[in-house]
Amino acid sequence: MQGNPINLLLVDPSDREACQVVVSLAQSPVAQFDLTRIKDLKAVRRHVETSRTDIVLLDLPAQEGREMLAVLQTAAPSIPIVVLTDRGDEAAALEAVREGAQDYFDKSKVNADTLAHGLHYAIERKRAEEALQRSQAFYHSLVESLPQSIFRKDLDGRFTFGNGRFCAEMNKTPNEIVGNTDFDFFPKELAEKYRADDQRVIESGKLFDVVEKHITPAGDTLYVQVIKSPVYSTSRELIGTQGIFWDVTEKYRAEEELRRVNADLAFKEAELLKTLSALKDSHEDLIQAQLHLIQAEKMESVGRLAAGVAHEVKNPLAIISMGLEYLDENCQIGKNENDVFRAMSEAVARADSIIRGLVDFSADRRLDVASHSLNAMIQRALLLVKHELTSGHVTTDIDLSPDLPQIRLDPTKIQQVFVNLFMNAIHAMSTGGVLRVRTRLKPIHGDEAPGITDRFKPGQPAVVTEVDDTGSGIPPEKLAKVWDPFFTTKGTGHGTGLGLTVTRKIVELHGGAIAISNRLEGGARVTLLLHPDREISP
Amino acid sequence: MTSKKRILVIDDEPDMTLMVRLNLEKTGRFEVREENNAVNAYQAARDFKPDVILLDVMMPDMDGGEVLFELKKDPTLKKVPVIFITATVLQEEVGAKGGTIAGHPFIPKPFKMSNLLIMIEDALKVATEGPAK
Repeated sequence: MQGNPINLLLVDPSDREACQVVVSLAQSPVAQFDLTRIKDLKAVRRHVETSRTDIVLLDLPAQEGREMLAVLQTAAPSIPIVVLTDRGDEAAALEAVREGAQDYFDKSKVNADTLAHGLHYAIERKRAEEALQRSQAFYHSLVESLPQSIFRKDLDGRFTFGNGRFCAEMNKTPNEIVGNTDFDFFPKELAEKYRADDQRVIESGKLFDVVEKHITPAGDTLYVQVIKSPVYSTSRELIGTQGIFWDVTEKYRAEEELRRVNADLAFKEAELLKTLSALKDSHEDLIQAQLHLIQAEKMESVGRLAAGVAHEVKNPLAIISMGLEYLDENCQIGKNENDVFRAMSEAVARADSIIRGLVDFSADRRLDVASHSLNAMIQRALLLVKHELTSGHVTTDIDLSPDLPQIRLDPTKIQQVFVNLFMNAIHAMSTGGVLRVRTRLKPIHGDEAPGITDRFKPGQPAVVTEVDDTGSGIPPEKLAKVWDPFFTTKGTGHGTGLGLTVTRKIVELHGGAIAISNRLEGGARVTLLLHPDREISP
Repeated sequence: MTSKKRILVIDDEPDMTLMVRLNLEKTGRFEVREENNAVNAYQAARDFKPDVILLDVMMPDMDGGEVLFELKKDPTLKKVPVIFITATVLQEEVGAKGGTIAGHPFIPKPFKMSNLLIMIEDALKVATEGPAK
């Protein structure tokens, strides 16, 4: 063996020579020993405290040996102690080992080499023990000083360990915990959940990491971060689970509050966006209303202007018209002249119709109401457009309910409404088609026409007239505009764009409603709703 | 052969009265006199002794209503039928007003000569036979 000499302290108070085997250690090839002998037992303590001592060899009677052992363990607990015994004193030697001696040797049996080896191993063993103690203390302090609760369970869910904090959390001593299961401490439902979590860890061999609600035995609700992992033996055999958990209630509540605040914020943001959108819409509406107002004012002044101009225009129209009539019958004319007269007559008629439209548009809107049959009005209007029906190759499909009640209406105005609607329908069928007119008394749904609920209560009966054509319908983007003054789908010279505006005005003056839509089967439908037997104030 | 009926046309627009005259004379049944100044209308009527008077409503200096008032004061003229010719009312309103202004028939401008002729014939018939029962 190599290295520094071993400082060996021999405690031997006898007056005789030191034991021969000890003396012969000096020649041992096992190790180099530097021997110091102390006879005065009182000096031993001072020696170990002041001089380097690697090992102490006690050669004392049993009683003194025990006392010295105690003194040395107090004064220098890290110095290994070996006891020399006399023949047959085995019991005393074992007692000494129990009380902390590393080893014992029988003086009568041991030789120098054996003793040298024994002493050397005693030193090493003592060092290993101390290292183990330090390591244990390290891990113990680690487990016990952490602010987390730590436990271990076997495969059956029985606790095998719980650190101080865990015990405190459970309000139990380690002994009360070890050997018991979650079912001994928690309500059945919770214990089953913990058991299921453990099973998951056991079966998957993976970490289980979750924040969960934890009810303490005292009944407090906490939120804990739990990490469970499998526990393996040194032979890599699964022997149980271990868990570590700590209170994250404060953090959890803060996060929860944050989530709540975030959700609240998101909600408020959505509300804000909604409000913003509503604001934008109402701003749009306002602009629209403003535009309408401007348009309406413009129309009104146009109307007034038109009425004034109309009178002035009618005289020249009358002169031209009569002039044409005169020439037509007094001239020798050929085909060309005939065409010219026809074109001029038609132009006069058209100009006249535009003038009428303008005057109509601006005309006084007083009604002259009396009780009338709506069906009769429709029949009369059909007669008025008979020529247009024939020349436009439009056939009629008339289905007028015989059970209609009388309606309080202005016959001239309502007739004008139907003439307008029929003329529009005929014009919409440029290559011919079918004009279908249907009247019914039926309850209102509320979605028949815009603003209908202002004038009719849902469920209230109304006289409903449908005027359908088989034309090409109205482009969807133009549907809303058809009621605007001077809007027309007809070519230049074929409409004033005032017909439907005037029509709607008349219907609304009667307290009715009117809507236009495209039919699924093609063509347009005008739905006209009037109140049965109702006083209309003029 | 019955003598031609005399028609007095009072309108401030000379071309208007000209056209009415030409168209009526073309039928060969009427003798027509034009008067373009409302102020002179009464005198013209007294001189011409018309069977029917066609009277414009809106005229400068004096309107159709005032002319009618003048005519009605004269016992020799008060029975002469008057037909108003006007640009101020619509055909649709004619029906609503019972086709009359102050009890006299009227025809809105522009009109078909055939319609005017019917009205003149009716007026002549009423003048000779009295109103239809």
